Parts: sequence; structure tokens; C-alpha cells
Amino acid sequence: MPGLTRYGYRDAISGFFEFPTENARRILPAHLEPVEVHHGTSVFALTAFDFNQSEVGAYGEVVMAVVVAPLVKPGQPFPKSAMYPYLVATTTKAARDHAIERWHLPHWMDDVDVAFDRQKDHLTVRVKAEGAPVADLTIYQYEWHPVSHLHQSFMKDGEANYLAQITMEGQHSEHENEKGSLKLYEHPFNKVLAIPDVYDVPFREQWMRDGLQTFQPLEQLEAA
Amino acid sequence: MEAAQKKQAGKPVFSDYDYSNFYYGSGDDPLNLLPPFNEWYREARPNGYYLYAEPLESAPTTKVRVKNGKTGEVRELVNLASYNYLGISYRDEVKQAAAAALQKYGLGASGSPILSGTFDVHVELAKAVAEFKDKEAAILFPTGYSANVGFISAIMRSGDHIFCDQYSHASIVDGAILAKSKTVFFRHNNPMDLERKLSGVRGKKLVVVEGVYSMDGDVCVLPEIVDVAKRHGARILIDEAHSTFLFGPNGRGVSEHFGLDDQVDFHLGTFSKSLGGQGGFVAGSKELVDYVTGFGRSRFFSCNLAPAVAAGLLAGVRIVMNEPQLRAHLWSNVAYLRRRFAEEGIDIGKSTSQVIPVMVNNDAKVFAVAEKIQEGGLFLQPVTYPAVPKHKSRLRISVSAAHSEAELEFAVGVIARVLREEGICRA
Repeated sequence: MPGLTRYGYRDAISGFFEFPTENARRILPAHLEPVEVHHGTSVFALTAFDFNQSEVGAYGEVVMAVVVAPLVKPGQPFPKSAMYPYLVATTTKAARDHAIERWHLPHWMDDVDVAFDRQKDHLTVRVKAEGAPVADLTIYQYEWHPVSHLHQSFMKDGEANYLAQITMEGQHSEHENEKGSLKLYEHPFNKVLAIPDVYDVPFREQWMRDGLQTFQPLEQLEAA
Repeated sequence: MEAAQKKQAGKPVFSDYDYSNFYYGSGDDPLNLLPPFNEWYREARPNGYYLYAEPLESAPTTKVRVKNGKTGEVRELVNLASYNYLGISYRDEVKQAAAAALQKYGLGASGSPILSGTFDVHVELAKAVAEFKDKEAAILFPTGYSANVGFISAIMRSGDHIFCDQYSHASIVDGAILAKSKTVFFRHNNPMDLERKLSGVRGKKLVVVEGVYSMDGDVCVLPEIVDVAKRHGARILIDEAHSTFLFGPNGRGVSEHFGLDDQVDFHLGTFSKSLGGQGGFVAGSKELVDYVTGFGRSRFFSCNLAPAVAAGLLAGVRIVMNEPQLRAHLWSNVAYLRRRFAEEGIDIGKSTSQVIPVMVNNDAKVFAVAEKIQEGGLFLQPVTYPAVPKHKSRLRISVSAAHSEAELEFAVGVIARVLREEGICRA
């Protein structure tokens, strides 16, 4: 299909963490609504990708995001979830330039270290920027099933608002067994988060592997 | 295309979505919420969601006539789904009291409890509840939901802090929302996390817990919670919806069970669980009741309980006070079922009460398991995400004092067979 952009990945892990809605609202543009798991409690999502195939080669990426309400259009496929990535970091400049140019994603403007430590039943990602630790995320596996899930990603670049429809295909494991963990470090990377208020155990852990992330062409949204 | 074929082809199927996906819609028309939900529900319903709200055609005794939501067939099933923990709602004394009140007062209260809707039977019921709870006074609400919503919003305000267990019932959460207080959730039954959340918070503070948690059947660790709350100057509300009339030497609830009746500030209960009726109450000082009478909006902006219901409840409360053996029988049934489940290798999670979750822990299989169990002769609903965490799906059993050992044994047999067939528990 023309216009699609594909990224092959070995692993993509996400941890979903409760954090205060007031923190979420400080991060989000006014036209996006945070999804709440409880009254006053929204969802911070940290995702790490180990891309092994893309237009810009292999690279690691970490995405800090807030889970938001999706944009549902009549007759269109229904999204599984929607995110507002407020900070993306990559291990290569080429990947960063590509994502900024094509997807208008806000980036940490230096290369970061994204180290994947694979164990039998869990995977730990350690992120470092400027030589200092940013975050350690551990996600445990559950049962594996092939899936094809549609997700939405909202971006804001200056006054312009964008939406990317993203299909995630691959082997999928998801659970809420509260086995994983998150350590966020005091670092400029995390300056928008009130770290003590971000719960350090994910209420949901998602792991995808050996799959394909497919972006449909970017849509520019009407001004909010 | 069938769900299995779609799944095989890597296409999204109904089980990839759940109610939580359809909370938000887009556009300017509220009706935009409907089409995506209904498209999903058309597939979800025949695949298991029909098991919810199947119509009953008989009293919720230990056996009940149920109209199958898919086939329309009416069958008598052993009932493990209704609350009615003491088997009281269909006792002759209760039905006769309700019938006599229906003859005397007619259908409803025809008014708000603060205007024209309070009858002598409501006053008598409130007095009986206060006596039962060993408190100065009690105030009635039309439902348990409205009791939490009305009570919490009556005493807490914007700028105050409410600390709720993460598994709090929706009525507690909605009460906190209506109160406009800052709401903080602590990890389930975790006094250390509560302590962390309470630290440094100034102003009015309310900690809300439940005596028995309704999805897991575990009991609140009240002594530790009370200790933490007291040290931080917080008041404590206990919702004893699933524990009033059951726990403690006199059945007053989990707070009595732990000998902490006087340490807990606010006692809330319902009539729909142990008594199988309807309504809620708060018991405490007369000053408290007078204040909540004036500020409990969910109560005074609702019609009062139907007098016939109040009369039936009054008879029910008297039965509880006069027949402690009912509680003993219930706990004997609970012990029997727990022992038999353990023998069969069936996981019941952390339950230590009459609410017993049979853990399936597989969201994809739970509806098929529930269908087979109903085919086997049991009335029992599946509980799945988002009511419980993902892959913590289960079948929730409500044990009653009225169940016979034969009925419980029949239930164990059906459940064990189906769980083995589905590979959920060991052969």
C-alpha cells in the first residue's frame, strides 16, 4: 500500500503507570483528554523499541507518552489505544532526523543509550542520556498471541496538530500482574514528571516481539 | 467472519476490545459514542456477553429459573450468583411483612425522605439498624450506591483529601468525585502505601475502606489501616456492604470482628447483600445523622425506599438479631466450599469470605468456561476486564447460608469438571 512507513522490531515493551491527572494535563495540549484509570489518576506510558529494520537502519528508541482519548471516525477501524508522545529519544541521529521530519515527534536532541537486557521471562531496558541514567523499565511476559492492533499517536508541532494511525503487528503479551518495575531518575529528561507521584509498578505490562510497526501517512488535524 | 477465523487471520476480534475502549467518542454529537460500541457488542454478545443480565423467572433462592440470553430456554439452575448471603429475602416472615406493608401503604413512598416520603416503618427500620449496630442513630438511603455517594459528598468538600483503596467500589469513587475533594488511591489493602500517601497532607482527610472487597472476597486489614489513619489524623469510613450482618460476634461487621467498632468513625452498610433486599444506611451519632439528613443529596433528592421494602428489611434485621445460627451456617458453608475447592486444586485467589472468586485468569477463555458452567446447571457470571485487572478474570461465587451441602457439592463437581476440560486446573 503506497504511503506506508514500516519499521521492523525485535522487541517493543511498554509499561503503563498510574500518575496524577494534574501532571498529565500539564503535559498535554488543551485539545487532548487524558484517559483516567481512576478519578484523578491518568496513565504515563514508557515504551522502548529495538528496531532492526527501517529506512534509517537499526536503532533503539524510547517513547515517553500520556494515554489519551482516541479520535474515533465513523466507519473507520476502531483504535485499541491512543497516545500523546511528549518526548522521544533515539540511539542514532538518522532515526531522530527521520522521525522529526516525517512524524513531527518531539525529540531529545542527543543520542541516548537504550540497553535491552533479555532474560527468560522478562526484559529490562536501561535508558541513559548524557551519560546519566534516565529510566530502568522491566516488563514480564505472559502468554504470547499474534495480533494486529491499531493505535493512534497525536503530535503537536508549533501550532499544527497531527495524528498518526499506527498498526502494531507481531507476537503480543499483555497482563496486569504487577510484576514489572520502573525506576525514573532525576534527570532533565524527566523534568515534566513529578517522579514521586509516578507509581513504580506498572498496572499493565505489554511486550511485542518479532513484529512490524506500520505508520499510515500523517494526518494534519483541524486547529483545536 | 467468525471470531476464531478473524483471529487466525490476524484481524481484530471482539476479545481485543472491552467496555473501556468505548468510553470516549469523537465529534460534537454524544450519539457518536453508539456506533463503534454497537458494532463491537453485536459480536461480543453472542460470544459470552449474553451471560450478563439474563432474566430470572423465580425468587433468588438457592435454585433459580433463568432464561438463557442466547437461546431463550428457561432452566432451573443452582444459584451461586445472587447475594442473599443469609437467605432471608424469601423467608415467609419477610414476605408477609412486605405484603402487609404493601396492603397498608401501597406501592411507593411518594416523596423525598425529608418531605413527605418518611413513614413509620422507615423510622422503625432506622431504629432497628442503630440498635443492631450499637450506635445512637442510623440514616437510610434508597440504595447502597446512594449511601456512599450521599454520605461522602455530605461530609467532604473541595480542598479536602479522600484516600481510597484502589479496589474501591464505584459508589465510593463517585462520592469522592461529587465531593470535589482531591482523591488519592492507595494500593489495595496496603497500609504502607496509605502511609506514604498520607504523609505530609494537611487539612481534612478521610480514609475509605471496605470490610470485604466485592471482587476478591478478601477482608480489609483494618487494624493496620486504623493505625496509619489515626497517626495521620485522618477519619475512617468503612463500607460494610458485604460484611454487615455477617462478621463479628454480633454480625455488626468487620470493624466488630477486629474489635475496632469505636475506632472507625463512619459505618456504612447495605441491605441488598446479606438481606437480599435493597437500600443502604449509615450508623453513628445522632449529630452525624442529623447533619447527613441535611446534606446527603443522593438521599433527599431521591424518593424514599418503598415502605413495603422497608417493612421486609425490618423483618430481616430482626431475623438476623434473633438467629445467630444463620451466620454460623453461612461460615460452615464457606468452610466446606473452600475445603472442597482446595481438594480439587481450584484457585480462589485471596478470598477469606463468603465472596469466592473462582480464578480463570484467562480473558479469552472465561466466557467459554462460564457458558459450559451454565450448561452444567449453575447460575454464575463471569467477571472480566475492566471490572478486574486483565487476565484476572473469574467466576464470582456468592455463598449463602441457605445452600445445602448437596448443592455446594454439585457446584464443585461442575466447576472442577469444566476447569479441567478447559485446562484451567490440574486433572
